[in-house]
Amino acid sequence: MAFTSDVVEGEITHDGLTIRTYDSAPHKRGEDTIVLLHGTSGSAQSTYWALFPMLADGRRVVAFDFVDTDGATADSYADQARAVIAALCDGPVHLTGCSFGAVIAAHLAGTTPEIVKSLTLIAGWIKTDIHQQLRYDVWFKLHEEKSAAMPGFMVMTAFSHAFLTMRLPGEVDALVAKIGDGSDRYAKMVFNRSVDITDAVAKITSPTLIIGCTQDQMVPITHSKLLFGAIENARFAEVPSGHAVAHERPSHLLMLIRDFIDEPERDAPGTVHAPIHA
Amino acid sequence: MNIQTTTPKSKVDAEVLIVGTGFSGLGLAVILEREGARDYLMLERGHDVGGTWRDNHYPGAGCDVFSHLYSYSFRPNPHWSSTYSKQPEILKYLQETAKDEGITPKVRFNTTVTSAEWIEAEDLWQVETTTGTYRARALVSATGHLSDLAMPDIEGLNSFTGKMMHSSQWDHDYDYTGKRVGIIGTGASSIQITPEVAPDVAHLTVFQRTAPYIVPRRDAPYSAAQKGMFERFPEMLQDFRKDLFWGNESRFPQRLQIPAFLAQIEEMSRGHLEDQVTDPDLREKLTPPYSVGCKRILISNDFYPAIQRENVTLETTGIARIDETGVVLTDGTHVDLDMLILATGFEATELPIAEVIHGKVGRLSDQWEDGGQAFACTSVHGYPNFFMMLGPNTGLGAGSMIYMVETQIEYIRGALEYLADSGKVIEPDAEAQAAYVKSIHDRAERTVWIAGGCQSWYLHPRSGKLTAIWPDYMSQFRKENGTFATKGYMVRDATVSA
Repeated sequence: MAFTSDVVEGEITHDGLTIRTYDSAPHKRGEDTIVLLHGTSGSAQSTYWALFPMLADGRRVVAFDFVDTDGATADSYADQARAVIAALCDGPVHLTGCSFGAVIAAHLAGTTPEIVKSLTLIAGWIKTDIHQQLRYDVWFKLHEEKSAAMPGFMVMTAFSHAFLTMRLPGEVDALVAKIGDGSDRYAKMVFNRSVDITDAVAKITSPTLIIGCTQDQMVPITHSKLLFGAIENARFAEVPSGHAVAHERPSHLLMLIRDFIDEPERDAPGTVHAPIHA
Repeated sequence: MNIQTTTPKSKVDAEVLIVGTGFSGLGLAVILEREGARDYLMLERGHDVGGTWRDNHYPGAGCDVFSHLYSYSFRPNPHWSSTYSKQPEILKYLQETAKDEGITPKVRFNTTVTSAEWIEAEDLWQVETTTGTYRARALVSATGHLSDLAMPDIEGLNSFTGKMMHSSQWDHDYDYTGKRVGIIGTGASSIQITPEVAPDVAHLTVFQRTAPYIVPRRDAPYSAAQKGMFERFPEMLQDFRKDLFWGNESRFPQRLQIPAFLAQIEEMSRGHLEDQVTDPDLREKLTPPYSVGCKRILISNDFYPAIQRENVTLETTGIARIDETGVVLTDGTHVDLDMLILATGFEATELPIAEVIHGKVGRLSDQWEDGGQAFACTSVHGYPNFFMMLGPNTGLGAGSMIYMVETQIEYIRGALEYLADSGKVIEPDAEAQAAYVKSIHDRAERTVWIAGGCQSWYLHPRSGKLTAIWPDYMSQFRKENGTFATKGYMVRDATVSA
């Protein structure tokens, strides 16, 4: 389904790859643009079905689908993002990444700061740790065995307890049925197993917002706190959610991102946002 | 410093008068009472607190918003019996709030405001009521959206000699058992009343003009363990409240007609209709002819089953007129009735309180000829030291009004504190107000209420403007209107200084 009624889909070629792009408002090309880097799940649509149109209500948003290649590195993925930005955007962009996309966004901001106006890292991490390794071990084992347990495992680890227990049984079944067998994320899972962007993160100077998820079982919130510790010019906000925050609380992300992008330097570096009261 | 301690000429009965003791007025009073710095009085036309939850006690009356969200965050109730509450439980919550928080002694009951006039020479509001005159430095209208009933404009309405009652004036002394009953309307009240009365009546005819969208009601009682947990870990209750809040907030994109969000809600309502109604003709009649969300989306598990009872008829032929013995349809058919229920809602676009409020520029209802407008959705140029709760553009299509109420409570609390501390008189600047209202109407253009092509009570009948609804996220309302500041206000010293 299209992100919005007037989103413009296109393609660019980069290094022999064809990259699918989504632009909410090509006529606003000269204006501030939000560029969204999606997560492990394979497409801009699967991560940003909610957030893309919500952000596009007011701002120009560009997203694209990463293309997997053999031996991909953080820099080769970041190169795809750079190519899209060069092709579709004038001037530095508001770069937003979620999960895998946050890793690539952080790497990009640390290595090519001149094209980043602000940086938002949602449920990202610097270096894969042993807790993540254990989950990856289970994941790859289920994948090898073509296990019927894979979809349930992915849903259980992606969503928070609160989110799942507020759904009807049929709705949870539908989530499990929809998530697939994981083969669409295999290449990025291989990459995720050995992430280490320590050096690039140390060089990030763009105003940054770190968003961590309190009930994240895949990338526990400690990782976001480590990013906050590593990036001098960062602010920190937490969202009560699982790793699939873009599905669980898109409106909460919207408020945080909109507010940050309006004036990235408004809150001093080191600011920890108070929880939002309802 | 209290601002009423001044010359005899401008003696006031209180710093602040609050009109209405429903959810909004009562909530403001709780905060003022806890703060302990403001001297206030409340005027209430009824014999009890509770506003719309006091008046609407028809069979099946209940709330469509989760109990843990539809209650004050500053007065959480771990004991809500179920996901959604019925009217008696909500009214009890409000009554206990008034009693426990020490509000009741501040309320003048059975006191209807007949006029409220700003006396410029004395910098005060003079309020005439059925029980006497009250004077105050500041006036807060907290009379609600859904408090004055709307009667249908049908020829011969008053010629009906059977029992007729509006949903908000239910007469429990009347026994409808075994009677031939008609109900006009298929909105929020009707879908609650219909399943309640249907089993007891001889026959029920439901007169439908436009079919509503209906989605499943996910209602379940809270277990003793849940209630105990909420009581012992208040933060768990607040976290749960936030989950509910953000769930609602993430429904607003439906109103922006974003395809993925529309598809979700359309699928949910269509699936519900298909699950519950098998007859294709009836399904057709119950399929709404407009974009989802354009009118209020209703939640019910028992309306469709009730409509399919043998003793219930869904009548979609228009009503031509009403006579002594029943309803005459546009095709000439006469429906004989003993009782006629008017489930036709409330005056939401033209707030009746505006008829009696007179500022420097006359009657508020005259200023609002083309629809209500207010600065920060709260104050009005030409009406000094006046604040309106749940006034123009504060209604919601997806969310809890209590969030809006609490936002306005904090704004008005701040404004009242400023007035008391500074001794100033304030009113919004005309240009600032116009610019603010324009920003709302610009935003409204992209919403289903304007773009969706249906008439609803959200739109002002003469201007067609969206005046009842806030056309943005609730969080955005709080960001814009949650904290009082003098920016946008004309500020002057009081002529009679404190």
